[in-house]
Amino acid sequence: MEVVNPRAALLSNYEVLSLLRELESENLLRTKAALRIKREEETGIGTGGSLPLGGNPHLEASENLRTIEVEAIGYLSAEYLPTANQTEEGISRLVKSLASCNLTKAEKLQIVNLAPTIPVELYVIVEELEDRFGDQLDDILENIRSSTTSARETAQTNGINGQVEHSADTVQVIQDGQWDEDADAIYEEDIYDDTGAGNGVEGDLEMDED
Amino acid sequence: MFCLAVLKDTVAVHPTNFGAPVDDALIAEINKKYANRVLHDVGLCICVFDLSEAGEGKVRYGDGFLWYKVVFRLVVFRPFTSEVILAKVKSSDEDSIRLTLGFFDDIYIPTAYLPQPTAFDPNERAHFWLPDSTLTGASALLDTPVAERMYIDQGEALRVRVEADEFCDDEPGPPRAAEGVTSRREPTRPPYIVCCSIAEQGLGPVAWWNGSGQADDGGDEIGEG
Repeated sequence: MEVVNPRAALLSNYEVLSLLRELESENLLRTKAALRIKREEETGIGTGGSLPLGGNPHLEASENLRTIEVEAIGYLSAEYLPTANQTEEGISRLVKSLASCNLTKAEKLQIVNLAPTIPVELYVIVEELEDRFGDQLDDILENIRSSTTSARETAQTNGINGQVEHSADTVQVIQDGQWDEDADAIYEEDIYDDTGAGNGVEGDLEMDED
Repeated sequence: MFCLAVLKDTVAVHPTNFGAPVDDALIAEINKKYANRVLHDVGLCICVFDLSEAGEGKVRYGDGFLWYKVVFRLVVFRPFTSEVILAKVKSSDEDSIRLTLGFFDDIYIPTAYLPQPTAFDPNERAHFWLPDSTLTGASALLDTPVAERMYIDQGEALRVRVEADEFCDDEPGPPRAAEGVTSRREPTRPPYIVCCSIAEQGLGPVAWWNGSGQADDGGDEIGEG
């Protein structure tokens, strides 16, 4: 094992939650398929053949993965976090509207993760808030509010699993014939990409160096 | 709070999984190895994000596995210094408050990072904060009327700022025959500890700030630690 880069990019809570939910639904599908095959075997000819045709019992998620998956989904969809009420469109709209504010990458990430709705919450995240954004404060808060409230209305109908799939553009795949690009694994990555607006990042954040 | 780490490893695929798509089999193997593990100086691994590169599978003498050299990206929990996160109180004792995120429990607020003046109430098993008080010393603080105290109760959601994180690698070195059983050390430290602070305006139980949310100018003198 070799660590190439311990912090290549930052992820927002929403991205992690969608990834985990996707993983969970895949798992569910797989267990269902395995169960179906088992039942067919039992009710069918019953030759006692233990080889399932399509199902790979060893590809079942390991205990560790299941544990962290369930616990992390539980935390990220807790009611004191805004993540469950966010949507991809809402977040990208919010980030675009924040682009003019000259916030650092870390500040933007925390705004997306925590979606502060009252000034005191924003104080904690943004340094010297009053000097930098004294007059823009209400605009920022309004933008944040609109990015989550609109989500709340559509959250039930839209669901996390119905998200738009992007094509993977940042991944280098060497054997293109064999390795399908993980089309659904890239969400909003361009927002926190290394080439992005990282010019204002403060030194103590020790982020990516490449 | 979460980030991507790029890792390189050699992964073995068991012959029973040869029927599955290769990338699925590799991702399953990597998840089995890394999910819910703390990697030193990297963080707590959640799951595979994607594969970046993979070489040809090779068969080695002695087993039927296919060995792949893989470069992949992992989703890792590692909040950066000065990041603000939300966590629930798991327990409190004289020295610290322990927080939990559900999937990660080793988050602590030492008493130095609590808003001053503060004291630990052994009856309630909870720390409390006395806003606008000039008292110092635990005994003086414990004489105050309970109604004035602002408790940090178990299960409460706290907004905290990450101050530092620490990795401990307590490998149980080679056993020393001379020392025998007496060399048993203290209970093992957790491999990854996050140290947080609530000694700042806006930090602490979420409920403290939501009520007086709009009147942020009024609370300027409180919570300076």
